[in-house]
Amino acid sequence: MDTTPVTVAIVSPYRLGREALAALLASLPGFEIVPPDGGAMPGVYLWDVMTAGAAPSLDFVAGTPVLALAAIEAAPGLLAHVAGIVLRDEPPENLAAALRQVARGDQYFSPDLVLALLRRHGSPAVPALPAQPGLAAVTDRERDVLAALAAGLSNKAIAARLYLSVRTVEGHLANLYAKLGVRSRAEAIVLAVRHGLGPQNT
Amino acid sequence: MEDSTVTRMAILGTIAELHRESLAYDVACLRAIVTQLAPDLLCAEITRDAWEHGDLDAAALEVREALAPVVAGTDVVLLPVAPTPQRFADFTPRAGWRHDLGQSFASSLRWGMRRASRPEAINGPVFGAYCHLVCMLTEWTWPGEYRAAWEAQNQGLAGNILAAVRRDPGRRVLVTAQCQRLHRLVPFLRAQADVNIVDYREL
Repeated sequence: MDTTPVTVAIVSPYRLGREALAALLASLPGFEIVPPDGGAMPGVYLWDVMTAGAAPSLDFVAGTPVLALAAIEAAPGLLAHVAGIVLRDEPPENLAAALRQVARGDQYFSPDLVLALLRRHGSPAVPALPAQPGLAAVTDRERDVLAALAAGLSNKAIAARLYLSVRTVEGHLANLYAKLGVRSRAEAIVLAVRHGLGPQNT
Repeated sequence: MEDSTVTRMAILGTIAELHRESLAYDVACLRAIVTQLAPDLLCAEITRDAWEHGDLDAAALEVREALAPVVAGTDVVLLPVAPTPQRFADFTPRAGWRHDLGQSFASSLRWGMRRASRPEAINGPVFGAYCHLVCMLTEWTWPGEYRAAWEAQNQGLAGNILAAVRRDPGRRVLVTAQCQRLHRLVPFLRAQADVNIVDYREL
């Protein structure tokens, strides 16, 4: 496992919010806080979204993933702009898992957010999928991973549930995306639900 | 190129309640070791049932106070590999000369752990030989059925470790087990062709 710390730049309109998040991340292993407008390029931006429709206080550097910390009401408006969304009532360890996952190039969506979006299935918030071959080519292990993904679990939570390493789960996800013809975690979740692998079936 | 079917494995001996004493190898030290090593998979002495029900009260101190907190805050995945909850001390008869002699040996072992104190010493060859000798003498005091049960439990533990790593081969695996098991566990795991045992500092 890569032990290089994940560098995080915290973007929040309020000093207390920034310092509280910095103190929380300092208490968790594997993170280093960097200034958002300093010289060092962060591995991920943590954007503290205070209200629905909020715009960031600075321009995020293109190509650097953004993880939004938000209330569920603000989430739909953020989907197109961020790599992941952590809801405010998640435990700290889920924030840590989300930051690591997004820093590695994947997406992250809180389970409650996934459920809320699935209830709105077919709305503009859920991307339309291109035609795809279905689940015939998926192995049993990959199917287990896909079902856990559809329940909104992070890669770490999937790994813990299936007693696999996070690296192995990431490998299964990459294979799944290729087999299913999807380009993102969100598309894979929607496809899994359409094939009956939604949260109600796990 | 490293063979992805061979699992790189280190075995870290633990010292149960002595982790709470003022030793270099205390709970904080154990947490730091596991955090720094950041294994892909961490095999721990807790039953699957207890782990899945979040029943840490019944788990060993090192699992409850060191390993579980590290796992919660990192991408390390814990594999519960204990076949039953019993530990070495649970196999000592409760009364009689066997009990008294067993207690003497247990005191000797604790003395050795306190003298070694540091994790690299406790997991080193000198303390390893001392621990092996004291454990053999202790087991000699047990009735035959106790020795058989202890042997069966260690075989179950080793089997669970192998089954877990063979589900996900080629990863970096750290096994934590009480020191009293190591002289049985390490030779068995070392004999497996798909497992490469390394010092924990080289994981």
